[in-house]
Amino acid sequence: MPDGRPLHSLIMNLLVYPLIALWTLAGILAFPFLYAFWKIFVNADRSRIMRLFVWVYGRGWMAIMSPFVTFRRDGFDQITASAPYVIVVNHLSFFDFYCMALLPFDNVAAAVRSWPFRMPWYGPFMRLAGYLDVESLGWKGTLAKGAETLSEGGSIVFFPEGHRSRDGKLHRFMSGPFRLSVETGVKVLPLCLTGTDVLLPPGRWWISPARICLTALPPVDPKSFDGPSAHLKLRKFIQAMMARKINSMRDE
Amino acid sequence: MSDEEVIGIINARIAEEFELDPDMMVAQALLYDDLGLDSLDRVDIVILLEQAFKFKIREEEAIREIRTLGDIHGFVINKVRSLSEGQGA
Repeated sequence: MPDGRPLHSLIMNLLVYPLIALWTLAGILAFPFLYAFWKIFVNADRSRIMRLFVWVYGRGWMAIMSPFVTFRRDGFDQITASAPYVIVVNHLSFFDFYCMALLPFDNVAAAVRSWPFRMPWYGPFMRLAGYLDVESLGWKGTLAKGAETLSEGGSIVFFPEGHRSRDGKLHRFMSGPFRLSVETGVKVLPLCLTGTDVLLPPGRWWISPARICLTALPPVDPKSFDGPSAHLKLRKFIQAMMARKINSMRDE
Repeated sequence: MSDEEVIGIINARIAEEFELDPDMMVAQALLYDDLGLDSLDRVDIVILLEQAFKFKIREEEAIREIRTLGDIHGFVINKVRSLSEGQGA
């Protein structure tokens, strides 16, 4: 059990996990009816509907967490909600993607490894939402499907470190998201996340009260970088600006 | 340029670009399993080598056979030699 307020943490764990399970079950049971309703009356695209549902599910998760976790977002006043972005976020916790419900738009797919697709309560919905299984698709397939998603107006979230950081520091970035940005001309939206490593760091199962902050940095236009190594320059530029911001957020 | 200099340049550029510990840069290191690189990183390595040694290699079949850092060393050493022989002829 964590240090600090052990009773508070115990109550949090006893309440939050069952509520998340209930919220997930309710979502699964309600899904066919909600999907049919949206399809018939709104006539939206399948993946578009699913991304909205996932965003709403994330907002529900935030509501469940809210007695114990504070959520804050900064920098989103400079974001164009209708524009697609290649979104890159630092990775600290299993719950990082849930925090994408803090985004002011919901048409968001994720590019992740294969294992989340194998969770029976999430995997089918991830596929319906058009999420990208980077390991199964390979980078070539991921870039092709990613370009298709962006051309349809959807943004894509990448965790460019590939793994959760175990020391809170920003680690090496894979170049895939930046190559996608250069190839499509779609801006990169860097997001800096803090606090989820306090909530649930890697290697632990109990959760702890936390203050989560998601900060958007100004979107970066890939056209500012040229040459055959444009994506590498873009990657280094964004990694450096995120590292600076995360350090300053931790010092606050 | 000596073989050792070529190897030194390759190791330094790859270690810097991919934020790898210089101690990991041994000839037998597998690019994927030991250095944690992926298929796109292989493409990026080709770009790095082209920039470092001022040659074009992206269309060469032999690149597809590269598995270890030592394979890269051997490939580049041969390439540098053949280019310098071509210039000397």
